[in-house]
Formats: sequence, C-alpha cells, structure tokens
Amino acid sequence: MKYLINRKFFSLVNRETQRFLALYKQTVMPGLVTTALYILVFGKALGSKIDANGLKVDYIQYIIPGLIMMAIINNAYQNSSSSIMQAKFLKFLDDILITPLSGIEIAFGYIIGGILRGGVTGISIIIMCYFIAPGFSIDNYLTTLLYILLVSWTFSSIGVIVGVFAKSWDHIGIFTTFIFMPLTMLGGVFWSVKWLPYPWDLISKFNPVYWMVDGLRHSMLSGLDSDFSIQLSLLICLLFCLFFSIIASYLVSTGYRIKS
Amino acid sequence: MNDIAIKIRNLKKVYDNKFEALKGINLDIPKGSFYGLLGPNGAGKTTTIGAIAGLVNYKHGSISIMGYDNKKNYRITRGLVGLSQQELNFDVFFPIKKVLEFQAGYFGMNRSMIKERTELMLEQFGLKDKQNSTCRELSGGMKRRLQIAKALIHNPEVLILDEPTAGVDIELRYMLWDFLKQINKEGKTILLTTHYIEEAEQLCDQIGIIHNGNMIVDESTKNLTKNNSSSKILIELEEVSDDIKINEFDFSLENKIMTINTKHPNKDLPIIMSKINELNLSIAHIEIKKTTLEQIFLKLTNNEILNK
Repeated sequence: MKYLINRKFFSLVNRETQRFLALYKQTVMPGLVTTALYILVFGKALGSKIDANGLKVDYIQYIIPGLIMMAIINNAYQNSSSSIMQAKFLKFLDDILITPLSGIEIAFGYIIGGILRGGVTGISIIIMCYFIAPGFSIDNYLTTLLYILLVSWTFSSIGVIVGVFAKSWDHIGIFTTFIFMPLTMLGGVFWSVKWLPYPWDLISKFNPVYWMVDGLRHSMLSGLDSDFSIQLSLLICLLFCLFFSIIASYLVSTGYRIKS
Repeated sequence: MNDIAIKIRNLKKVYDNKFEALKGINLDIPKGSFYGLLGPNGAGKTTTIGAIAGLVNYKHGSISIMGYDNKKNYRITRGLVGLSQQELNFDVFFPIKKVLEFQAGYFGMNRSMIKERTELMLEQFGLKDKQNSTCRELSGGMKRRLQIAKALIHNPEVLILDEPTAGVDIELRYMLWDFLKQINKEGKTILLTTHYIEEAEQLCDQIGIIHNGNMIVDESTKNLTKNNSSSKILIELEEVSDDIKINEFDFSLENKIMTINTKHPNKDLPIIMSKINELNLSIAHIEIKKTTLEQIFLKLTNNEILNK
C-alpha cells in the first residue's frame, strides 16, 4: 500500500475526480434528481397511504437510506466501469499502461474515482434530504460515512472488474439492469424484509445489498429493531470490498484484456 | 559503461490465438542511435515496440532499457521510454494542455516540472494556440504533433515512434524529420518504425528488418546499402558493333544500351569509359542506377512484387 502514496497515483486520482466533476450534470445530478422524485412519489404521495406495519418511523424516513444506497451503488459502479471502458475504447488507457504506475495503483486510481463519485452523490443526497424531507436527521454520522465509503468502494471495484472484462457498452449496462437493480430492489429499499413470508425473508438475507441498505438504515435512523447486527453488516461490507478490490487489482496488474 | 539503450534477447510472443508474432528476436540498439525497424505488415514491429513499452506481455526472452530489465525494473524503464503509437489515442474529456499535464503527472513530475514541460511541448509543437481545445477539435497534423508531444512530455532517454508520419502532409513530414534529427543529435535514442523506406534511409543510422517474427537484418544503413547493392551503369551508345567485349564486367547490350552490373559504380565507371574509348565507340548518354533501400527491403523480405 505504501506505493499508493506518490505523485503518479494522485495524478490518476486527480484525473478521475476532475472527469466526473466536469461532467457533474451526467454524473452527480441524475442521482439527486432521481432520489428527489422517489421521495416525492413514494414518500410524500404514496407514503402516507402505506401501512407502516411496525416500521417505527415514518415511511419517508424509512426509504431514504435505501435510496441513498441505490444512488451510491449506481454512481460508484458507473464511474469506474465507464471510465475504464472509455479509456479502452479510445485507446488512451495505453497512455496510462506505459507509465511507471503499477497495476495496483492503476486499479486503485479508478476505484478511488468511483468512491469519490459515490461519496459525493451520497453526501449530496443527505444534504438535499435535510431540505425536502421534514424531520430527516442522522443518528450516527460515523457509521453512516463508513457505509458510504465501504459500499462505494465495493461497487467501484466491481466497476473496474466489469470495465476490464467488458467488450462493449452493453456489458456495462447488463450488470446495472440485470444484477444491481434487482439486488437493490429486493434488498429492502422500499420495504422491510420482515414483511416477506418465510422462506423469502431468509433468502433475502443472502442478498449482500440487504446488509448494506439495512446497515445504513440502522446508522441513520434511531429507534429501529435492535436485532440487526451493525457489526456483522460492516464486516460483510468490508469483506466484499476487500474481495473485489483484490480481484480488480489482480486483473489490471496482469493486463487481462487491457494488454496484448 | 553500458552503451546499449535497448537490448532484446530471444524475445518470443505467442498470442492467445496461437499466432507466433515474435520467434525469438535479438536486438541491440546503441545509445544515441537513430534505429529504423522495418518490416511488412504483421511482421512483428508493433509487437516488439509494445513489449519494450509495456503494452505487450511476453513470457519468453528479456528486454533491458539502459541496462534495466523492463519487467523487474519497470518503474525505471517506463520513465526512460516515450512511446508515440501509430494509432492516435487521446483522452477526449480534457483540453490538450490538461492531457499533457496529466500525462506528465503519471510519470511522477512535480507541479513546477509539469507546468514547465507542458509549456515547452505546446510551444515546440506549435500547439500553444490550441491549448484549451480538446483533441477532437484538432486537425490531423495537430493530433500527430500532440501524439509525439505526449511521448516526449517526461523527457525520456529513448523515444519510440510507430509510423509517426503515416497520413501526414509533406510539410509536416519534413518538419518532423528535422525535429527528430535535432533531438537525436542532442542525444536521444530513437527507435522508428515506418513503411516509408525513404524516411528510414534519410533518418536512420541503423536498420533492422523484421519478417515473419524474425530479425533478418540488423546493421548500419550504410553497410546494408553497400552489402546488398547491385547498381547498374547504363551507357547509351551512338552506334554498336558485334565485337563489343568488356571482359572484366558482367554486361549486356540491347537497343544500343549497355547495362553493366557492378557493386562499385563510381570506381568502375572510369575503367569502363577507357575500355569504350579503346573500342572507338561514341557515347550518347550515361546513367548510374543505384539500388535503393526500398529495393533491398523488397529483396530481403521476398516481396511478391519483386518476384513478379
């Protein structure tokens, strides 16, 4: 890890950061607009009609952590996957591969770009919620930030892996549509898995996104059921994050599909 | 003191589809030389360059740059090499000034160095006026100049140019030639691949020819031309007779034109002239046709055009 602290590496991180900030209308803004619409439609319009069924908090407050998680997952993944894909497609990835940057540094340069975009999006949504969701507050800022970091890190790493594997833009979209979206929707963004009948409530717990969404929810909201283990949830997030980071670093280091 | 800039030993490259692009090539490129790597399409030039620069993985053989192994000491060797690829490749998100600054940053330069080198490159390649434009807004010639500026941004010891003048106009070609000659004179080692044999003949002091993954030639341009030359002296006579004989030379006579094959036309011409004088023949026209590097290249690579 000591090799990451150098000018070369920070130049790549700087490039990745400037890229998504320069394109903020396509990168950060859509997450904010989509989340605001979800809050308006599902929270304000439909929320009052939904039987909270023992949620112990307002429905609108209940869905916000899930919406934040959804935006973070999407943005972190999109950033690294599309950045690598574009660099491969236009061949300027070669300009990075011929520099003294190691494979791990290149992988982490892209991963951190995704973490920052996920983080900026997540924090922007939190700030927005203070204005558009009455009564919104955060119970534990530290674990909230920790979840934002770990989830961004995990999905940004997945983005690097998919970006390396992808041969076309379709491959990038397939993951969003057929994997992340179902996992997020079935991970309890809009409802509690406790509402599900057996065995679906148990099956849902094998969905990693459930642990991320509910982990963030328990960090942000006070007064929820105490049978959820934040420690276990954080450990799961950390393991996922390490697992995918290692795979991403390995692929870039060996030059899989990016070198001849 | 190591006088070799690039040393390649038994380099083999087999692609996933089992195509053997390089079959164990050896190559020594001296420091400060201008080396031309020639070869037909698909011969293995770009693979060789890619292996040197770090874009092509190889399992067999070794490459060292200025004495450093380019696998074990890749952080050092990549800083020593600048690569300008044949295919133009640019980061399209940023203005070209930023593109150069990022590229300098990837090589670990500090801020003041980045600023200084970027300014110098923009100035040197006539891109100052376009510094805030993106690559897509540049003309073809400007893109080619930017490509070379990018390769030189970190002031490498060795500059590798893959077809640098492909598709550029004559004016830019001559400008690039002058620039390359200049930086070579200042001490940079240059490895050039080109399809323009004239370009190699003009610029390179050393020539390597790669064919079907093998190095078939590696010698000075001068020796290559000299050793493979089979020049002709063409003498058009006013009138001919049947008993023309110049015993020492291999010659033929057709339509009043004597064709004499020789390796040393300048040395042999006076002798031939005196023989013709002895035969009391009048000369209408004399012409020396020297073998060009292009003909040598075609001959050595068994080109079909030559065989026809």
